[in-house]
Amino acid sequence: MTINRRHFLGSSAAAAAGLAAPMVKADGHGKPRVVVVGGGAGGATAARYIAKDSKSAIDVTLIEPSRMYYTCFFSNLYLGGFKEIEDIGHSYGTLASGGVNVVHDWAIGVDRDAKTVSLAGGATIAYDKLILSPGIDFVEGAVEGWDVSSQNAMPHAYKAGSQSELLKAQLMAMPEGGTFAMVAPPNPYRCPPGPYERVSMVAHFLKNNNPTAKIIVADPKPKFSKMALFQEGWADNYEGMVDWIGSDFGGDSVSVDPNEMTVTIDGEVTNVDVCNVIPAMKAGRIAELAGVTDGSWAPVNAIDMSTKADPDVYVLGDSSQQGDMPKSGFSANSQAKVCANAVRGALTGSKVYPAKFSNTCWSLIDTDNGVKVGATYEATDEKIAKVDGFISATGESAELRKATYEESEGWYAGITADMFG
Amino acid sequence: MPGSQPEEFSVSAEILALEGDLEYGEYLASECTTCHQADGSANGIPSITGWETEPFVTALHAYKTKHRDNEVMQIIANRMSDEEIAALAAYFKTLEN
Repeated sequence: MTINRRHFLGSSAAAAAGLAAPMVKADGHGKPRVVVVGGGAGGATAARYIAKDSKSAIDVTLIEPSRMYYTCFFSNLYLGGFKEIEDIGHSYGTLASGGVNVVHDWAIGVDRDAKTVSLAGGATIAYDKLILSPGIDFVEGAVEGWDVSSQNAMPHAYKAGSQSELLKAQLMAMPEGGTFAMVAPPNPYRCPPGPYERVSMVAHFLKNNNPTAKIIVADPKPKFSKMALFQEGWADNYEGMVDWIGSDFGGDSVSVDPNEMTVTIDGEVTNVDVCNVIPAMKAGRIAELAGVTDGSWAPVNAIDMSTKADPDVYVLGDSSQQGDMPKSGFSANSQAKVCANAVRGALTGSKVYPAKFSNTCWSLIDTDNGVKVGATYEATDEKIAKVDGFISATGESAELRKATYEESEGWYAGITADMFG
Repeated sequence: MPGSQPEEFSVSAEILALEGDLEYGEYLASECTTCHQADGSANGIPSITGWETEPFVTALHAYKTKHRDNEVMQIIANRMSDEEIAALAAYFKTLEN
């Protein structure tokens, strides 16, 4: 496969694009065409909003290999027994009925000169604007002893679906008094509180089903998102069950052996029954193939999520390097709506409004014990910059924690309706 | 209507009289629909569709000035101008419950 890359041509044009993006005339064909790669919180939202708001003036194609999308958010609640796997699965039928051309295939290449995307199935699709929202892939060799061929013995469960079901099955099959290990990822990664909500949900399951079991977390970081809230929650609800080993105590020196089912932390070998390896992350592969990444992520302009490399290629969500927003489904959904407004404006001349972004991450610690962290953001010349924020406090009342959990349930219903229609 | 404001809280007639820009309201509303469902369904987060202008505008100003609790709503409302709140009220009023 030959891929033409225009690494350097796009940058000045991208800088000049700014607010007054020139209207792109779709020459030689009918309607302007938007191709979206990746049907998660960023891509599904962008496709849906462009189709809905352009009222059929723009052809929108969404390329997503999965026919059923399992949200990574709330997949920990499935592990904890608060959700069924069906509760976090979503199909694309409503998006298709809403005018999005949904193609279930893998995008395997982008030719930015010809402005086409090639698919594993052999087709080539032309675009005027390309939106990439491929989530994350794992950095090879990030955890010594682990690679994708080991993901059945030691699941990551950080792309939801079959991996989540596998990890749940392994959790349920743990021997009495057994050991659950997690290798946590280095920054930056998808869903900063995610590994620690997972620890909470695994602890919840074990407390009810296998109360003498232990959880070991090897973490390459000295601290983590909502740390005080989680540590308070673990002490209050799962006393003595969770052993978190941060980088100050050797948590950054980890290797695993999937055949022997051992984890070695700072030279000490431990036999484990389940090992959840969450490796270091990078932008989804197609962003790299499109030549819009710089290092692990794709730098973007905050004003519209266009890449620094090419003003006609946008990157949303986890894969983007945008500034202060955490990599989360909420962030991707927020960025998608700013991007959709800008792309529609560029293609049809519709009004482009100022970018506004927001994010909230809810986490469940135990039954009816929810916490949250959130912020609002704005676009500056340099990045998406934080404006204002909040975080739940330690020692909150049970009533407030219950209300926070119920709010997260409402958010899940809201964002999935916003993504999939 | 869920979550009524404290009785002492009200906004000026001038603010209530602002005419909202529907198209801008539709764009701004996309920030709300991450949590509040556009079809008016409510489970855990209240419906905000089909509200009359006065309670809608008053509620957002109450969050903006921290007269109503909920940290998410407080930071969202905090950066909204009077015109933006009017635009949102105008838009959500057009959506059916």
